Amino acid sequence: MTIALDRRGFLAAGGAFTLSFVVTPPARAQQAATASPWTAYLTIGADGRIALMSPTTEMGQGTHTAHAAIIADEIGVPLNWVKVDTPMPSDPFRRGGSMGSGGSAGVRAWWDPLRKVGASARQSLVNAAAAKAGVPAAEVTILDGRIRRGGRVLMSLGEAAKLAAAAPPAEGTPRDPATYRYVGKQTPRVDIPAKVRGEPVFSQDFTRPGMVYACAVLSPVWTGLARQINEAPALAVKGVQKVVAFPGGAAVIASTQWAAMKGAAALEVSWASTDYDGLSSAAISAAMLAGLDKDDEALEARADGDAAAALAGAARVVEADYEVPYLAHTPMEPWNVTIEPTADGGLELWGPFQTQDRNRNTAARAAGIDPAKVKLHTLMLGGGFGRRLGDDGLTSAVLTALAVRKPVKFFWRREDEIGQGYYRPAQVARLRAGLDAAGRVVGLHVRAAGPSMQNSFSPAGLARGKLDGTSVHTLADTLYRPGAYRVDWVRVDQVVPMAPWRAVGATQNGYFMEAFLDEVARAAGKDPVALRRELLSHDPRALKVIDRAAEAGDWGKPLPAGRARGFAFVYSYGSLCAQVVEASLENGEVKVHRVTCAIDCARVVTPDGALNQMEGGIVQGLSSALFEGIEVSNGSCANRNFDGYRIMRINEAPTVIETHFIENNEVIGGIGEPGLPPATPALVNALFALTGKPIRKLPIMAQLADA
Amino acid sequence: MIRLTVNGKAVTVASEPDTPLLWVLRDELQLKGAKYGCGIAQCGACTVLVGGQAVRACSLPVGDIDGSVVTTIEGLKADDAVQKAWIELQTPQCGFCQPGQIMSAKALLAETPRPDDAAIDAAMAGNLCRCGTYVRIRAAIKLASGQAA
Ligand code: FES
Ligand code: FES
Repeated sequence: MTIALDRRGFLAAGGAFTLSFVVTPPARAQQAATASPWTAYLTIGADGRIALMSPTTEMGQGTHTAHAAIIADEIGVPLNWVKVDTPMPSDPFRRGGSMGSGGSAGVRAWWDPLRKVGASARQSLVNAAAAKAGVPAAEVTILDGRIRRGGRVLMSLGEAAKLAAAAPPAEGTPRDPATYRYVGKQTPRVDIPAKVRGEPVFSQDFTRPGMVYACAVLSPVWTGLARQINEAPALAVKGVQKVVAFPGGAAVIASTQWAAMKGAAALEVSWASTDYDGLSSAAISAAMLAGLDKDDEALEARADGDAAAALAGAARVVEADYEVPYLAHTPMEPWNVTIEPTADGGLELWGPFQTQDRNRNTAARAAGIDPAKVKLHTLMLGGGFGRRLGDDGLTSAVLTALAVRKPVKFFWRREDEIGQGYYRPAQVARLRAGLDAAGRVVGLHVRAAGPSMQNSFSPAGLARGKLDGTSVHTLADTLYRPGAYRVDWVRVDQVVPMAPWRAVGATQNGYFMEAFLDEVARAAGKDPVALRRELLSHDPRALKVIDRAAEAGDWGKPLPAGRARGFAFVYSYGSLCAQVVEASLENGEVKVHRVTCAIDCARVVTPDGALNQMEGGIVQGLSSALFEGIEVSNGSCANRNFDGYRIMRINEAPTVIETHFIENNEVIGGIGEPGLPPATPALVNALFALTGKPIRKLPIMAQLADA
Repeated sequence: MIRLTVNGKAVTVASEPDTPLLWVLRDELQLKGAKYGCGIAQCGACTVLVGGQAVRACSLPVGDIDGSVVTTIEGLKADDAVQKAWIELQTPQCGFCQPGQIMSAKALLAETPRPDDAAIDAAMAGNLCRCGTYVRIRAAIKLASGQAA
């Protein structure tokens, strides 16, 4: 989805090598980030300690460690000399004009630029030290944070930084990655010790002097507005100070978070009726399924050869309809933000931001001020998974802060975190494969239908008649060659808001394609792995991934009675990922014994962090396969907390997850997302192998209950 | 007046007796290690120890535990074996659920010094982790209890 910036793009974005050398450690580097191009990326203190402004938001995916490792290796300092923070939005940290994290781009997009920043910092320090010592710069190196010539230490890094600050910056050449000490090695994550001690200040934990709490009370029906608000019962709660109304609801203001929640529970709101009061999951499902028949509305996403003719001429056609529901992201921290109106008529914000510019602009628009008057600080995120890419709660929060005129923490309860929407889209697909007399696939047509996520999520929307690439993600760009191949999509919009959800379209489409391929394999009398090898016979890189997973996952080897294996392969975010899931059914519950994963992401920057991302992605993929789905009734989400929206617990998690990385010299692939998509269909396929019944609708538990 | 011992210190609680312990800790005592995740005893983010037992502080009125000894993540000793194992195995991702996970693990190990997978799953099933760190949590608990993971 995103392309790594080449050096030229970096120069244009960054405005030369924006290194800063200061003699005293920065009081608060975050504050300085927008001041001038000189203070972007790196600040080196007199003690040699380095403050790195990482353009990415840390939400557990480990990019801050990866970025610190790149800088430590390039300059030549111990990793713990580098402290990482997220800056306020400014040009050096933007890609394509705005600052944000997503698309598994944290390492992919910043690998080259940050190596260059580190190399140029090193060169500037070396040049300054060499000039002072009167020796050729080519003979000077930096090792363990000391400037050296031969075996002799010339000076400390801090001294060199002081000299370099007065000299023009130099341009450096990145080192050979083979010489790196931290990158690609078992490097402990920089954020973990504090997290284990409960020390990080998550957005929820952040306070300001004189701050009050504002608990949101929002319309249960999407687009709903309050008709009448009775404040009295809320105001009667001890600690409640005031009620602020805004379009779509109100906030109860109190001196403590608990008083605000108690007041919110007491507040009486009657909601105006909307056009969507009767909307239900069944109606959404029926509309999508009807969309599958609308040939004249289908937008072409890929057409290799004549799929219709291939299917018409096939000896045999395999056909199935598949369906998935809306999914919530459910980061463990419900959304909240702290806002302080400033003396100059501006706003200062602290929150769990993943799209810094989008949020800053939205806050400015809500307040009617220039974005330059909004100072936006990114705090540690208690999970994201795509939910923090948006800005949907911010306008109400700003209006509340402006009404209160003091620092306010505006927060949602879990019920709003799940109930307000911005889900992974619901979607259906009809897949039709043609087989020749020998059982070879000669044609495939995938027709998807569902709402446009892009239209809902992107501020610009998506014009009718335009293809939403996320709806056909991993279908239109599959590595398979199934003969004549057609992918098209019918748009069936709903009011329910949507956003990218970890791995985006790869989640639903990976399931559709991979579960269907197992149906095709069965019809053709083929082994599922053998069928995939046939469809990928042109692609040695993909075959290697398939073979590694199959071998490590004991594909084809005997199993205890009552257990089966399932296989899936999905190419997404530049990485090729195959998984084998071993599962059984015990008393109506699915037990996942073992997941074996092989991934080719070309290069692993932080091996253990990457492993963690695979494990987490696999658990989330299995969780959504088994349990998850928004139940829409009366125009509202009916399962708004973890008692109704079930996610995987430890007793349901796989006993063993094993990952094999494949590295090579291809373009570096993503890690945060590609581990998730294969897990869902690999589990579905294991259950298909076990019971002989395909699972064409998720979540699995609802299907087993209906069966 | 409700009195508690929190992390070894005697405190007198000013909050109303119906206030959940979580909000006494967070709002009144400024101990932010225990988190709000669901408010209905479903996610475990708020887990702390009361009298050595793991409890969901979001759903426990402070008036019900007058005189109790409360331990939060902030009250663990610097060289706590569970925290060391958590670091050793690089368990957290976003970290938000982890104070609750660690407090549940503390209670488990106090009761069952060498738990097997089944005992771990039973004791930890109340603690959700959306980042999916479950396999490492199992391994870290075993490491902390001196068993090979
Ligand atoms: S916040 Fe207490 S269990 Fe979720
Ligand atoms: S580490 Fe993120 S929720 Fe558990």
